[in-house]
Amino acid sequence: MILGLLLAAPFLAYLAWLIWALVAYPIPLGYNLRSLWQRKLSSFSTAAAIALVVGIFVVVLSLAQGLSVAFVSSGRPDQALVLRPNARFELNSSIERDRMRILKVHPLLKRDAEGPMASAEVVVVKLFPMADGTDTNVTVRGLEARGITLRPQVRLVQGRWFRPGLSEVVVPRKMQGRFPSLELGRNLRMGGRDWQIVGTFDAGGASYESEVWSNVNDVMQAFRRESYSAMLARLESPERVEGFLKAVEDDKRLKLEVIRETDYFKELTKAGDPIKILGNLITLILTGAAIFAAMNTMYAAVAGRTKEIGTLRALGFRQREILASFQWESIFLCLTGGLLGSGLALFANGIQTGTTSFETFSDVSFAFTITPGLMAQGVAFSLVMGLLGGFLPAWRASRIPLTEAMKGG
Amino acid sequence: MNTDRFDLGGGEPIITLRDVAKSYWREALEIPVLQGIDLEIPVGAYIALMGPSGSGKTTLLNLVAGIDRPTGGSLEVCGHELNSLDDDQLAAWRNAHVGFIFQNYNLVPVLNAFENVELPLLLTGAGRGERRDRVEEALALVNLTDRMGNYPRQLSGGQEQRVAIARAIVTDPDLLVADEPTGALDAKNAEEVLALMERLNSEFQKTIVMVTHDPKAAHHAKHQIHLEKGVLDKAVEVNR
Repeated sequence: MILGLLLAAPFLAYLAWLIWALVAYPIPLGYNLRSLWQRKLSSFSTAAAIALVVGIFVVVLSLAQGLSVAFVSSGRPDQALVLRPNARFELNSSIERDRMRILKVHPLLKRDAEGPMASAEVVVVKLFPMADGTDTNVTVRGLEARGITLRPQVRLVQGRWFRPGLSEVVVPRKMQGRFPSLELGRNLRMGGRDWQIVGTFDAGGASYESEVWSNVNDVMQAFRRESYSAMLARLESPERVEGFLKAVEDDKRLKLEVIRETDYFKELTKAGDPIKILGNLITLILTGAAIFAAMNTMYAAVAGRTKEIGTLRALGFRQREILASFQWESIFLCLTGGLLGSGLALFANGIQTGTTSFETFSDVSFAFTITPGLMAQGVAFSLVMGLLGGFLPAWRASRIPLTEAMKGG
Repeated sequence: MNTDRFDLGGGEPIITLRDVAKSYWREALEIPVLQGIDLEIPVGAYIALMGPSGSGKTTLLNLVAGIDRPTGGSLEVCGHELNSLDDDQLAAWRNAHVGFIFQNYNLVPVLNAFENVELPLLLTGAGRGERRDRVEEALALVNLTDRMGNYPRQLSGGQEQRVAIARAIVTDPDLLVADEPTGALDAKNAEEVLALMERLNSEFQKTIVMVTHDPKAAHHAKHQIHLEKGVLDKAVEVNR
């Protein structure tokens, strides 16, 4: 943090000076804007290159944002997940039936008229064909009716919920575009039997939108599972989770691990790390190219206007005024690209996509989420490109010896 | 060199050069361009600096205008010892005391005539209204009030040079320096520009130092100073 601030300090100081120069120095901004307009072709191609990079930058950020929304909105702080010790994820976990019986009546669980608020669940992974003809793993979750009420962000949008014993499933609406086999009313073949799709649900961007849901006992029978994967439980308050955790972990009959649901999903967010790393790498390479493009354009501008610079200096403009003027020209060039790129990124907003989680080896569906904050980050990113790409040409413009500048370089 | 040989009409000197020298270096080789220049130019003079190519006329003009610095000697122009000014002070000094007229006009192509003339005023701290009045006055003097909104590409060469002259006088400087001001103009436009400069000298008492190859242009000056291989050769009073 301190190192970051130390590194950013000269940059921020320079930016502050530039803003001050914009107000205090007399070279009119119109001069720079019109100069950019006069070189329409090179200005536009540079701005387009910057727009492309900023667009990719914003989309990469939105990937991370989309994944984060998917996982963060999935958990509640007053709920906990019970897993086999060191399982880390539901898919690796198993809880035998007798242990589950003890767990489901644990005195620390929150209760309502229907009894303790807990759902015994099983998670399996099944290959599903995608619209592009490839197959990908999809999480199939078997849960109790309680499991639905424990996830209030999930709501039925079409059809009805599954009924126990009838081999029925409900599917997320947002997966239907990517998986044509998940149409309402169709039958799915899995675990050696046909399952009818009786409803579609929406989970408000939560990670459940990557799962097919059915009754826990039906799934266990079909997939020949003798044990559950996990139990989702609600406590009286977020503060009670610690007590429940200690009680379960200390109970010699159970020997299970408890993790707060929000922490569990935080861990799952790492699913997006490979895609983020790849995205950042691509952005980094493209950023280098865009800065080079901006620098090239600005060097050409300086070379073509050497005599103009000489004239301004002869009339009494100082070197720092020339530096600020050309630096702002570069910033405006890149900001134009930045605004354009951020605007273009909006087209990706809401597009549903997915990635394979390396934690659960199954598909994670999420939507690109382009927020005003991300767009502002894209514009700020273009400002940085303008500063970096324009500094050396602007410095060169301000340092050309006056007699040389007046001769035209 | 002795200033006695260069009687330019007496009066209070606006430019005083004492043993001024200028050399350039190419690697380790020193190339002297001007040597031992002693010269006093009085207020209100109109000087044509003449001489063959490479004689050092433009270099001398650049020194007098504070564009370049001498490698020897001292230069006092408009009451300031130029050697003692740093780059920023020299820039401010140029803005306050010198008006420039270039061979190729050197107008900023993306600014219109009004904005080009206004440029030096932006450094003076004058308010918008005052700037407008002074720009309009300068453009009226060069007879281009109706071309205020035109960009350089929309003006003829003669009009461009007149805009450049308006820019040179808008801050009401003491000294005008002109480097081949008619070099890019046809005879008619050249005559108009020279007449304008003559008027600035006679009517507005501007001191003018003009570099020219053109004997016709030089004939408009009050005095011609000839340089030869970097030294002052002779001064001639012009009979107009």
